[in-house]
Formats: sequence, C-alpha cells, structure tokens
Amino acid sequence: MADEDFDCGESGASTTFPMQCSALRKNGYVMLKNRPCKIVEMSTSKTGKHGHAKVHLVGTDIFTQRKYEDICPSTHNMDVPHVSRKDYQLSNIDDGFLSLMDDNGELREDLKIPEGDVGKDIEKRFDNGENLIITVLKALDEEQVVSIKNVS
Amino acid sequence: QYMPVCFPLGTPGMAPPSMVSTEQRQHAEHVFLSFRKSKSPFAICKHILETSKVDYVLFQAATAIMEAVVREWILLEKTSIESLRTFLLTYVLQRPNLQKYVREQILLAVAVIVKRGSLDKSINCKSVFHEVGQLISSGNPTVQTLACSILTALLSEFSSSSKTSSIGLSMEFHGSCKRLFQEEGLRQIFMLTMEVLQEFSRRENLNAQMSSVFQRYLALANQVLNSPLLKKKKKKNQICFYDSKIREDSDMAQDSLQCLAQLASMHGPIFPDESAQVSYLAHLVEGLLSMINGIEIEDSEAVGISNIISNLITMFPRSILTALPSDLFTSFINCLTLLTCSFGRSAALEEVLDKDDMVYMEAYDKLLESWLTLVQDEEHFPRGCFVQPAIQVFNSYIQCHLAAPDGTRNLSVNGIASHDEEEINELQEDDRELFSDQLSSIGMLGRVAADHCIPLLTSLLEDRVTRLHGQLQRTQQHLMASSDPGSVDRKVLDDLYEDIHWLILVSGYLLADDPPGETPLIPSEVMEFSIKHSTEVDINTTLQILGSPGEKASSIPGCNRTDSVIRLLSAVLRTSEVESRATRASLTELLSPQMGKDIVWFLRRWAKTYLLVDEKLYQQISIPLSTAFGADTEGAQWIVGYLLEKVINNLSVWSSEADLANDTVELLVTLVEKRERANIVVQCESWWSLAKQFASRSPPLHLLSSSVQRSLMKALVLGGFAHMDSDTKQQYWAEVLHPLQQRFLNLINQENFAQISQEEAVKQEIVATLEALCGIAEATQIDNVVSLFSFLMDFLSSCIGLMEVYSNTPETINLIIEVFVEVAHKQICYLGENKSMKLYEACLTLLQVYSKNNQSRKRGDATAEEDQYQDLLLIMELLTNLLSKEFIDFSENDEVFRNQEQGTPASSRAVSAADVVLYGVNIVLPLMSQDLLKFPSLCNQYYKLITFICEIFPEKIPQLPEELFKSLMFSLELGMTSMSSEISQLCLEALSPLAEQCAKNQEKDTPLFIATRHFLKLVFDMLVLQKHNTEMTVAAGEALYTLVCLHQAEYSELVESLLSSQRDAVIYQRLADAFNKLTASSTPPTMDRKQKVAFLKSLEEFVANVGGLLCVK
Repeated sequence: MADEDFDCGESGASTTFPMQCSALRKNGYVMLKNRPCKIVEMSTSKTGKHGHAKVHLVGTDIFTQRKYEDICPSTHNMDVPHVSRKDYQLSNIDDGFLSLMDDNGELREDLKIPEGDVGKDIEKRFDNGENLIITVLKALDEEQVVSIKNVS
Repeated sequence: QYMPVCFPLGTPGMAPPSMVSTEQRQHAEHVFLSFRKSKSPFAICKHILETSKVDYVLFQAATAIMEAVVREWILLEKTSIESLRTFLLTYVLQRPNLQKYVREQILLAVAVIVKRGSLDKSINCKSVFHEVGQLISSGNPTVQTLACSILTALLSEFSSSSKTSSIGLSMEFHGSCKRLFQEEGLRQIFMLTMEVLQEFSRRENLNAQMSSVFQRYLALANQVLNSPLLKKKKKKNQICFYDSKIREDSDMAQDSLQCLAQLASMHGPIFPDESAQVSYLAHLVEGLLSMINGIEIEDSEAVGISNIISNLITMFPRSILTALPSDLFTSFINCLTLLTCSFGRSAALEEVLDKDDMVYMEAYDKLLESWLTLVQDEEHFPRGCFVQPAIQVFNSYIQCHLAAPDGTRNLSVNGIASHDEEEINELQEDDRELFSDQLSSIGMLGRVAADHCIPLLTSLLEDRVTRLHGQLQRTQQHLMASSDPGSVDRKVLDDLYEDIHWLILVSGYLLADDPPGETPLIPSEVMEFSIKHSTEVDINTTLQILGSPGEKASSIPGCNRTDSVIRLLSAVLRTSEVESRATRASLTELLSPQMGKDIVWFLRRWAKTYLLVDEKLYQQISIPLSTAFGADTEGAQWIVGYLLEKVINNLSVWSSEADLANDTVELLVTLVEKRERANIVVQCESWWSLAKQFASRSPPLHLLSSSVQRSLMKALVLGGFAHMDSDTKQQYWAEVLHPLQQRFLNLINQENFAQISQEEAVKQEIVATLEALCGIAEATQIDNVVSLFSFLMDFLSSCIGLMEVYSNTPETINLIIEVFVEVAHKQICYLGENKSMKLYEACLTLLQVYSKNNQSRKRGDATAEEDQYQDLLLIMELLTNLLSKEFIDFSENDEVFRNQEQGTPASSRAVSAADVVLYGVNIVLPLMSQDLLKFPSLCNQYYKLITFICEIFPEKIPQLPEELFKSLMFSLELGMTSMSSEISQLCLEALSPLAEQCAKNQEKDTPLFIATRHFLKLVFDMLVLQKHNTEMTVAAGEALYTLVCLHQAEYSELVESLLSSQRDAVIYQRLADAFNKLTASSTPPTMDRKQKVAFLKSLEEFVANVGGLLCVK
C-alpha cells in the first residue's frame, strides 16, 4: 500500500486510485490488464472451507469494449480509473477533427471524428445543420466521443 | 382390403430414420391413424393378428380393436364382445414369445373391455378374477407371468390416475369405475398376488424363470400397496420374507423394501381396534428386527430400510408405539440407535469419497428426522428411555466430525486421511444451513442427554482453543524466523478450524433455537439441566471463567465447579478471544473466515435467547443463568461490551470477507433491536465511536459491502431509540443522522453539481447516502416512525432531483426508487392521513420523473436478462406497498392527525392513493409485455398489483384510457387461463369487485360491462368444462356468482346451449337438474352475502355431482 502515491499520472493529478478489491461494485470501474474497464461480472470464491475470499472480476474496456478477466485476493487493492464524461458543443468539423466548445467557452480541436456509427451519425447530422452536443468519455489519458444529442 | 397397405408400410413405421424419408413415415402414420378410426375393424384385426409377423402392425391392430370396441360398444352384441375378449386372451396365451409391448397392448385392450363392460354390468369382474386365479394356480411360470400382466393392466386401467387410457368417456365414468374397483377388485388382486408371493417364498430354490415371475409379482404388490385406492383393505398379510433370495437381485430388493415401507405406514380405519393395530405393529417390528439383525446391510438397502423405520415412527400413534411389549420396544430403539450410528459413519465416508449418490447421507437424514419426532414426544415414552441412545448418536456424530485421533473425519476406509482443497464458490450454502436438519436433530438429542453432551462439547472446545492458541503462536515464531508465508503448513490449523467449526455449530443448535419472527426461549432441557446442578455450582468462579476469555479455563482455581451452560458459552468466547488477539498480532491471514462466521453466528443465536433473560417467561429459572445474564447484572453489561468490541474489531479486520461482515452486523442488529439490550449498548463508549466513525465515512467502515453498510445504518438508528436523557439523545442524533444530511445537502447544493455528478467520488457519496436512507427506513418501528418519517421525507424530494441527474445510470436510479419502496414498505402502515398524503405526493412526483425519463430510455433486446427490468419491478413493488395500507393500517391511534383532518372533505385532498397508483399503472402497463411475464418475479409482482387495484379501486377501472383498459382486461384473461394456479386465483379474485362495480353503476354497454360478460363465459367454462384445481373452486365460484348476478340472461343462454348440445337424455336430465339446483337458493340472484354463500355451497355439490360429467378423457 505504501507505493500507492507513486501511481500518479504525469499531470500531477492521479488518474487512478486504489480500492480494496472487496469494495469494488458491479457496474463500477477498475483497471484490468492496465486497461480502464467497467465491471460487468463480479463473484467470489475460496480455496477450501477455511480459505480467504478471492474475487473474480470480468470487465469490458470502456473504449474498445474488449473483455478482460482477473482474479485476486479480496484484501488486495486494485486501481480504479477516474472516469469522466464531459459535454461539448460541436461548432465545426475540419479535416476529420472536431471543434468542440465546453461550458466555459473554451475551444478544443484535438479530437478526431470517431470511427464507426457514431462518427457517421455526427457527420450526417452536422451536415443537416443540427445543433449537436457531444459527450466525451475520458479515463487515464484517453478520450473518446461516446454519444451525441440534439439541442433543440 | 387394408392388408396390402399395411404390410409394406409396417416396415417404414418402425424403420430407423436413415432408411425412410420423413414423408414416408408421415404417410405410414397417417395410414395407421385412419385405419384405427375405421368402422368395425374386428375381422380384419383378427386376421392381422393371426397372420402378420410385424410387431408394430400387431400393436396397431390391438390398438384399433381397443378403440373400436369402446366406440361401437352400444352397437355390438354382448356375445361378440365376450368372444373378442376370449380371443385376445387365448391369443396371448398361445404366443409366449410375443414382443413385450405387443403383449401389454393386447392385455390393455382386454382391461379396457373389462372396464367398459363394468359400466353396464355386461362383464362381471369376479369371473375375470376367477380366470386369472386359475392361470395362477396352473404352476406354469409363463402362464403366471401372463396372469401378472393382466392384473397389472387392470390395476393401472382402473386407478383413476394419469395411467388410465383416454377412451372418450367422462371423468365421472372413470371415477365410478375406480370406486367399484376399490371395493372388490383391488382386494382380489392383492389376495392373488399374496398367494403367488407366499408360494414362491416357501420354495427352496428358484430358477431364473421363476425368480423373474417372483419379481414381477413383487412389483405388482408394490403397485397395489402404493395405489391410492387402497383405503379399506382389511387383509393384513405378512410379507416379511425379505431374505437372501430377494436380496441377490437388487431390483427385487428395491420393490420389496418399498412394499415394507408402505406396510409400515398403514394406519387409520384399516384396523378394527387398537389392539389389532398394536399386534400388527409388533409383528412388523419383529420381522424388521430379525431382518436387520440377520443381514449386513448393502448400500442400496440403506434408504429403503430408513424409510420403513421413518414411516413406522411418523405414522403410528404414540399410544400404539408405547403399547408394544417393552422388550420389543427396547430392542427396536437399540436397533435404531446402532443403525443411526452406522449410517452416520457410512455417510461420512461417502463425503470423503465425494460420491455423487449419497445414499447413506439420505438414510442418515431420515433416521435423524425420526429421532427428532420421537424425542419431541418424549413425554409419551418411559422416562429417560432415550438418554442412552441420544448419547450414542450424539457421540458418533461428534466423532465423525472431528479429526483424528479423537475423531474419524476425512478418514477413508483404510484409515488414511485425505485432505484436498477444493474451490468453493459463493453460491455454496454454509454448513449451518446445508445441514440444519441434521444439526437440529443432533442439538435436540444433545438436550435430551444434556448431562453428557454439554460438558463434552465444553471440554472438546476448550481443548481445541488451547491448541489453536499454541499453534498460532508457533506459527508466528516460525514466520518471524523464516519470513516466508508460503512455508506455513496450514494442515494443522485447518484441522483445528474444522473441529471448532463443527463444535460451535452443534453447541449453537443445542443451546438455542432460532425461530423466525419469535422470541426464542431457553430450551427447557437446558434450563432444567442448569437448575439441577446449581447447588454444586460456585457462582463467583463461574463468573470469573465467563469474564476472563483470555485465560485458559482450566487454569482458574475451582474451575470444575462451574455452571456447564455458562462454561460452554465461555468456551466460545475463548475461541473468539484467540481470534481477536491473532488479528491484533497481524496474523489475520492465518485465521479462518469460516470460524469467524461460526463465532458471530453462535453469539447472535445465544444473545437472542440468553442475554437479559426475562424471568417472567419461565416457570422456573436457573440462578446461575439469571445471575450471569439477567437484567441489571454486571455480567450482562460486561458481555454486551465484549460483543460490541468483537463487532467493531470484525468490521475493521474482515471487511474483505462479505459473509463474515454480514453475520457480524447481524449480531449488532440483534443487540439493538430489543430496547432492553439497546439501553445497555448505548452506554458503551465504543458504540458512540462506531457511530461517529460510520457517520464520517472514514476507513475502514466505508470498505464494507453495501448490504453491510445498510444494516449498520439500521443498527445505529435502532440504537438511537434506546433510553437516554434528552441531551444525550440530541447529541446522538447530531452525531449519527445530521452529518448524513449535511454532507448530502452540501453536495447537491453545489452550483456545479450537475457537472461533477458523474465523478466517481461524488457518485460514491450519493450511493452511500441512498444506501443509508434504505437502512434508516429498515429501522422503522411503531415508536420511532414519527421522527424517522420526517427525517426521510426531507430527503425524498432531493432524491427525485437526483433521478434527472443520474438518468443515465440505471443502478443509481434503481437505488433511488428502492429508497421510496423501503419507506413505503416500512412506514405507510403507521402514517396518518396527512403524512400518507405527503408520501403519496412524493411518490407521484417520482413516477412523473421516471415516466419522463423512461420515454427516452433504451433497453436491451428481448433476450435481455431480468435485472434489466429491476426498475420496473421496483416501481410495481412501490405501488403495491402504497396499496397495502388498505389492508394493514396501524394509524388509527394517530389522534393528532384525526383532529386536524376533521372537516376536510375527502375531495379537497391534494392526492389520493388511487391517483398515485393509477398514474403508476399508466406507466407500468404499456411496458409489461407478454415476454416480460415470463420472468417469474415480474409476473408475480404484476398480477399482485393489478388484483390489488381491482379490489381496492374498482370505481377507477372504468375511467382508465381505452388502451390501458383493454390491456388490463387482457392481462386478467391471460392470467386466468394460461398462468400458474396461484396467479389464476389472483385474477379470479379481481373479477367480483369489477362485476359489483358494474352493478352499482347500472350502466349497460360500458366497456367494463362487456368485458365482464366475456369473463362470465370464461369462468363458466372453467368451472363446468375444464379440469380445474379444486383449490380454485371457491375463487372461481365467487367470481361466477357476481358475474351471474350481473348477466342473468347471458348465464341462462350459456346453460341452455350447453344442455341443448347433450344427446344423451339421461345426462341431459342430470345436468338440467344440477343447474336448477345450483341456482335454486339464489333466485333471482342478487349481490347479497347470504345468497352468495348459499350459492357457493350449492356449487360444491354441483361440482361433485356433474363436475366429471362434461370433462372427457
């Protein structure tokens, strides 16, 4: 536990925090194989009647949806990623990049149009002149557009 | 003319699938089916039977005969039927090598002919039995086998069960055949069977063929004895010829053991008087004893034998058992004792070998259950007659569960210990539940022999605890020297843990009961045991042993003069102390969470019964027990403090072991749920620090699982209602509840709450608050509801705000709804009108927000799992809870509210329960699809809800929007016709109030009026034409009556059209009479209770008279 303070991201703000394995919850987040995951299954078992509990975790990567599994003693600390969602107003699309403005009026243009259906949907609806709010999911240093909604 | 068709096709019908196409097969089947329906196929069938070599064709010919005889019965000459029957019998007799299924089918045809003939008395059963008797006495095994098959066919055809062939006659016919047969035929069959069995059992040597005949008759005897028809059988034959001849063949052995078990359960009007019953029992027991003593029991016999004994003990009245000659009774009990011990040992072996088929375990369970029955009726038997047996059974149980050298646990036959560590998942039940029946019996036997068992448990447990202490110390030293935790040998520790595990479980079951929802009493045997020895006991030494769990009991001077009951508790406390000290010495990893669970489980069970023992509840009380644990004693105060420390220590050390933490917090709840105990608890400083720690959400309590946190909150709230002076009380709430409120308000009132709401820390705080609110609601009792309600109400509106914020987080939404569900569940029954209305308003707002959010919510596809619909289930639960106030309402004493509400007309109320519930139904109904009704929890909750609504607010149903009304009516019909009988009953109960509502309004042609007309037909058909569950007759009858009142003309039409479809004049008349009688007492039918009751009574008669007439099989 002593080294938990060194697990911080470069910015100085920690991107993950430790949590006792038994305190994790289904639908919560956890780092599995160094990837931020949403816990979809959680169960416990023990070896022998007088053994200590072990936790089996199944999670899906919040960005790639890939499945990861892990098993560890329930007393162990696992890293939990800080996951945040942020809404931006879409102001422009330029050369595959989105121009996004947050609540404070700050503009960023470093996010690409995501691949797949969400991306196509954004382009189509933007071309139709719809006023779009884009939700960006962030964990560790990764960001991804996950959903859009129309402001009417 | 059929032959050319039949022969070539006979083969495809039976050929393997690869040889013929599906079309060919279907065609062949079609030919056979139409052949069976052809008119008078007797000649051709006879011809086929005599010439064909294809078994399947023979089978079809027999079937055709059987169906045609029944179909054309009236047209046939009696003599030709008779000759047909003779032909079939002779046919079978002359062809001993027929395929079995062909022979059985032909004999079935014979049986059906006999049965049909018995209706118009054209065939006399007596002569049939006479013929069979002749076959039996022929001495020819082949002929005897045939006779046996005939009897078997008759037996299954006449028993009115699923075995009966469908021959298109009314259930009434089947029923009357059964009655006739019961009076004469059954006895005949039994006598004939017995004759054969006795003859065979007298023979010295049986060849293979004869023994197969023997086996067939045994199976038949078993079937006769099992038959529900066997009610008035007066003949009691002995069949205690269970000897080596039978045992060699395991199938036969099974049959005859079952026969014996059936014989052992004979009781009731079979016996002319008591002495006949006693002599029958004596005969049976003698036979049983000589059988058991004469053999070495095989694995396959254990269950059969235990069933015989269990039937004997449960079915025979105590007075008959005690009337047995005393030496026979003693031998029986001794035999039972030895058998129990021996089965117990074999069951333990089965566990070691991890066998799939645990026959000895099953047999052992049966015998232990029989002991429980015997011992519970102890007062009927000679005093003390069970003490020695109890000691033996108890000892052998303990021995099987302890490790060597004291015990034999995990020892296989050759004495080698096996020790494998298997993976155990969270679904595996704890031993205390898995073996609760065994443990209850052993605990009960332990009480019977308390003098022996309590000191035995104490000394074993004290010994193990001393050894555990030593072993932990040695391990600690070893760890300090080597520092490699992997080098620790856990075998010795695990053996000790397992010993302690079983000793604590048995002690818990011996010392106390845990009846759900009752205050358990100290078992009288334990109380008497303590009283009996109280003169030899030194109270001070006893208290010293109790109060020093850290010391070895045997090191305390005078330790042999202590109260044994207290000493056993002290032994558990010593175990607990070793555990606690080990955690303080950072040896937690070496400990067993299972043992930790056992300790707090025991302490909880013990505390419920013994702590602050209420002398008023007992006729006599043991001085040591009342001195140590009575009200206002130092002992009670000390032990409350000790238990509290234990709880606090566990919650911080074992947060990673969810089950253990759960058991621990349950102990805490037990300590505070009774006011007397709580009064002592709140005087402890550690209680206050626990409260503060939890309120500040500081480690380690925040690591606990949500259910543990919820229960902890519940305990803290319950504690707050203990006796304290007002300043202290104010301070307590300021420490416990106010921080919760404060932190919550600070958080949600932040300007940027909407933005930070998705941050993990914020989400956790919110979830923790919601869990705490559920815990607070769970703590509701009649005397704290006023303050808790006001406290919770302040939160509810904020919670609704959270519904918007967390609309994307289903698990948080569910938790918010759950808070409402809990508040409604625990509090609505106590609330006066004003407060109820506040709650209704809050719920209505919740529903509005839920509905709004729900429109934009996407759910998974139709294959989604049940927990996707948790919110829907919770909403229905909430609505049902709100409605439940109409049934359970304790709020009448709420004078304050009564006075306030006087003069306030109901119409001016802001919101009524009906508004809320109907609004909710508006949301729920469109979401409930037929697919969702496949989930049992959703289905049950849904029907419970809609039935409640129809019963409580029938006047609101006609006002529902059209679509909603239709789907409600469709739901009722669906529930009535195609769901479980439980749900069907619920729906029937909903109909009467709806019909009454229509009658009240007197408006014809409203949608509800039309719907009830449709229901009239449904219920009518259900009662008259369909086989229905008799439990449902009352519910269906009540519904029918009110519907008849409403739609008298339609009812008459239904009756008329049913009558006019009857061709048989006799049946027509019977039905017409029955219908007249049915409504005679209630003409014209009015919605009057008295008439309704009369109608229900007539309906019962109606169903009995003609119920079977129209139901065809």
